[in-house]
Amino acid sequence: MEANENCASKCCGRLFEFLDSSIGKKFMVAAAGLLLVGFLVTHLAGNLFLYVGDGAFNHYAEALEHNPLLPLAEGGLIFLFLVHILLSARATYLNRKARPVAYESYKGKGARTPGSRTMALTGSLILLFIIIHVATFKFDVGGLKGQTPGTEESLYAHVITWFSNPLYAAFYILAVGGVGLHLSHGVQSAMQTFGVNHPRYTPLIRKAGLALAGLIFLGFVSFPVYFGFLQKCLSCSTGAH
Amino acid sequence: MEQIMDNKLMNLTLKIWRQKDAAAEGELKSYALTGVSPDMSFLEMLDVLNEQLVAKGDDAVAFDHDCREGICGMCSLMIDGQAHGPEKAVTTCQLHMRQYKDGDTITIEPFRAKAFPVVRDLCVDRSAFDRIQQAGGFCSVNTGNAVDANSMLISHDTAEKSMDAAACIGCGACVAACPNASAMLFVGAKVSQYALLPQGQPEREKRALAMRAAMDAEGFGHCTNEYECEAACPKEIKISNIARLNREYFRATLISE
Ligand code: HEM
Ligand code: SF4
Ligand code: FES
Repeated sequence: MEANENCASKCCGRLFEFLDSSIGKKFMVAAAGLLLVGFLVTHLAGNLFLYVGDGAFNHYAEALEHNPLLPLAEGGLIFLFLVHILLSARATYLNRKARPVAYESYKGKGARTPGSRTMALTGSLILLFIIIHVATFKFDVGGLKGQTPGTEESLYAHVITWFSNPLYAAFYILAVGGVGLHLSHGVQSAMQTFGVNHPRYTPLIRKAGLALAGLIFLGFVSFPVYFGFLQKCLSCSTGAH
Repeated sequence: MEQIMDNKLMNLTLKIWRQKDAAAEGELKSYALTGVSPDMSFLEMLDVLNEQLVAKGDDAVAFDHDCREGICGMCSLMIDGQAHGPEKAVTTCQLHMRQYKDGDTITIEPFRAKAFPVVRDLCVDRSAFDRIQQAGGFCSVNTGNAVDANSMLISHDTAEKSMDAAACIGCGACVAACPNASAMLFVGAKVSQYALLPQGQPEREKRALAMRAAMDAEGFGHCTNEYECEAACPKEIKISNIARLNREYFRATLISE
């Protein structure tokens, strides 16, 4: 019995030590970050049904909503965001404290990238976006559902209506740009944090990280661009409605 | 002859951080310096400044230095926002004034980190590195006499990696250059040099755990993989050593008793 308790406290002790350590915190941020990338890829894949059309997208959305495992997945997602945000916020706070007196002149030697410099900023932008995104698209704050006659049930129409609002479309594009910038540093950074650094693979990982960031950006930015602007222009020029 | 030499001499404006002691408030002060030869090292240039200051009855600028040949790790300085100045793989003592031209203004600040408190002017206390090293940067097993050549096989590549890591002179430029004041490059180098060789194996896990803990206890920041450390390091220590430190720490967390 005592031996068991010792064993448990030893394991917990080591785990807490890891989670509290600078390296462990970064490991958790990176692990949650990469899992969030996985979520973004599936989210993007699902949203591509928008291009198939009204029926396909609504059917996909309904199937998702009626899946009994959805609350579990949502809970997991919230957990990932909490881990990622809380630990990265704590690390950022401690990093500021690690240099209490700033340099008058701080130039460096060119290793930083636009993405790496702005991780906290793009992260905060993403957080703001997520709050608004979930409020408008999941909880229908702003009550757009049903404003267009005959489309009460259609999530597709709901999405199109939001993207027709130029202010919302612009904010969406800005936020998705933030995601791209965040990942332009984040993907390869997470691999380095996991200890993956190899003369043959690291250059490849950096390129693949940039490519993934670019694809995610292009994929998501295509929705407001197409449904907010292009589609209308197309229907104007062809005269079809 | 004299004429030719004179033509080459430069006049500079130096903005130097002056701080009486650890508790005092510091500030950047401007100094006009005349007669700087391009053949001088950066530290010799500061020597000339100090001679001129002392002759006027002012306090000399305190700065750290020892070997002045790029091997001891004692010199430091943030020069125009770059640790050890603008050159790649060069310590401040090996930086030469031919990098500058007549009329230049040079801003000189101490290395800045909570873990490297200013002692006076440009001198900072880097004993945090010593304490990290004392926590595990050694091997305490008696390895006996040198064994016969080739009786213990270590691949050339591995030996080279360990030697490259061991080239770290503990100057702290990595911390100074890091936007987070992280010491991961230094600790990565020190953990790696042992982890790669047989002599380091008996204390491998203990070392990784102890040096990580000592590093965090000193108040250094978290590595966010900005890679400015690698760019600033006068000994070109690679960030692959940081990845190895991460691996060593995960491994030790999992398997040590
Ligand atoms: C879909 C959303 C997100 C994804 C896919 C994502 C992905 C990532 C990845 C892969 C990393 C790199 C981890 C590492 O360097 O070890 C990272 C780091 C970071 N993220 Fe996120 N993130 C997301 C949202 C957020 C949010 C909402 C915040 C803050 C409010 C945030 C703040 C940060 C910070 C501060 C870092 C560390 C900065 C650094 O390593 O330089 N992220 N993120
Ligand atoms: S890793 Fe390089 S910059 Fe850092 S202490 Fe060692 S020699 Fe100096
Ligand atoms: S004074 Fe020894 S390395 Fe510069």
